[in-house]
Amino acid sequence: MIQLFNVSKVYSNGVKALSDINLEIEKGEFLFIVGASGAGKSSFIKLLIRDEIPTKGQIMIGGRSILRLKRSEVPHLRRKIGVVFQDYRLLENRTVFENVSFALEVLQCPSWQIKPRALQVLQMVGLSSKCDAFPAQLSGGEQQRVAIARAIINTPRILVADEPTGNLDPDNSKEILKILYRINKLGTTVIVATHDQEMVDSIRKRVIALEKGRIVRDDLRGAYRCEA
Amino acid sequence: MRLRTVLYFMRQAFVSLSRNGWMSILSVATVAIALFIIGSFFLLVANANAIASQLESDVRIVAFVDVSVPREEVLEIREKISKDIDGVVDVQLVPKEEGLKKLGERFGENNNLITALGGKNPLPDYFIIRAEQPQEVKNIARAVDGIDQVEKVDYGGKVIERLFEILRWVRLLGWAAMVMLTGAAVFLISVTIRLTVYARHKEINIMKYIGATDWFISWPFFLEGMILGLIGAAIALGTLYFSYVSLIQNLTLTLNFIPFISDPVFLGRTLCWLLLLGVVVGALGSLISVRRYLKV
Ligand SMILES: Nc1ncnc2c1ncn2[C@@H]1O[C@H](COP(=O)(O)OP(=O)(O)OP(=O)(O)O)[C@@H](O)[C@H]1O
Ligand SMILES: [Mg+2]
Repeated sequence: MIQLFNVSKVYSNGVKALSDINLEIEKGEFLFIVGASGAGKSSFIKLLIRDEIPTKGQIMIGGRSILRLKRSEVPHLRRKIGVVFQDYRLLENRTVFENVSFALEVLQCPSWQIKPRALQVLQMVGLSSKCDAFPAQLSGGEQQRVAIARAIINTPRILVADEPTGNLDPDNSKEILKILYRINKLGTTVIVATHDQEMVDSIRKRVIALEKGRIVRDDLRGAYRCEA
Repeated sequence: MRLRTVLYFMRQAFVSLSRNGWMSILSVATVAIALFIIGSFFLLVANANAIASQLESDVRIVAFVDVSVPREEVLEIREKISKDIDGVVDVQLVPKEEGLKKLGERFGENNNLITALGGKNPLPDYFIIRAEQPQEVKNIARAVDGIDQVEKVDYGGKVIERLFEILRWVRLLGWAAMVMLTGAAVFLISVTIRLTVYARHKEINIMKYIGATDWFISWPFFLEGMILGLIGAAIALGTLYFSYVSLIQNLTLTLNFIPFISDPVFLGRTLCWLLLLGVVVGALGSLISVRRYLKV
């Protein structure tokens, strides 16, 4: 589903964020990218959604090179990949429901499809009762759940989350992980970049550890730290 | 495009228009002033052109005979002109007596002009020569001017040359004004739109990650720019139209021999072009800002 060949990323200021990454991610996999701050987790995510372009190497998604996409094709790639950020990125002046349905409006979905689908994903993240609330009236965990609902409303095949629990306490983090796990069970490939050890250790899934931009470990049923 | 989408774009555009308040007003005013001045230049040039072409199509030449030339000789000259010069249709003599009578009429009936002038008629005899074709006027005039007893020759084309000289400058000035003013208007609109882009950058960012096309993201901004341009243009058009019509009405009273343009079709077309220019200015201004932000 996702393949990276000899991918390196050097930023314009000379920082080597990723070096020589080779990786294959199967359809329906659940995957953690772990590593210390500055290891290159966010850079990895940015490459996947073509927010950044690798300096070297090739990235294939669904058998197609995402580097050869024309500018006008990038939005179609992004529709296949839902993204969740650490800082939620919700629109403050819109309600929960509007924030979520916004994603389908932007894609020009017919309105009769938008409402039921929005209600469905909000139920999935357990926020049916908060439809009319504004982001400022929600807890951090609830805001992150809204962000997840927005990311999955158009049923992307891949969901990437960059530190989705970075600002949350352990209970909320657990809740988020449960939701991500549930989404994965429905067939979506889920990639989570995190340094939340507790979250990684609580379910035994594939773990890829980055260190200074290199893959130093790739365990199929891994933990945050090397168990050797 | 779906109605929903259109409504979404419109809502975004109007929200931004009101949020940018003063900046919106400023750019509308700039567009209005720019288009008003451009339109004024255009009407000026168009009228001058109309006058020029009327003068150009005028086949009459007026030739003044030296005052001292006796009447018999004047009649001979008339014969000579109508026989010897090609392209002359007819030559009409306006004797000095008639000229004086016409002058007298202008001054009022009770006025004894002859007495006032000391019993002598100072006016020359003159011919009104009609050419067959407007193109022949210049050659005929030259030939008539070559006759010794003819003191002065006047024809439309002579006036035109001076008029064209002036017209060239007016046109140049008009172009310069157009470039500078539309430039200023485009710039101000682009600044206004940039304010909107900044105000909505978070939303734009989210839209990009969700997979909205550049087209979808840009439309509300184009719309806002075009609305700004359109409002400015409408103000300019209204002002221009009413001031032009009342100006022409006043001028025609005193200068009724000048063919001022009052053709509604022509005026309508001019106003439409200006309106279009306003919209283009608006779209261009927003394009500059949106392009820079989207890095298209
Ligand atoms: N746009 C950028 N321009 C230049 N350097 C960058 C840019 N983005 C990231 N970097 C650098 O690349 C390296 C990797 O950054 P990255 O954000 O991928 O790390 P990370 O693993 O996500 O860290 P964190 O856990 O703190 O989020 C860092 O040294 C960072 O300073
Ligand atoms: Mg990061």
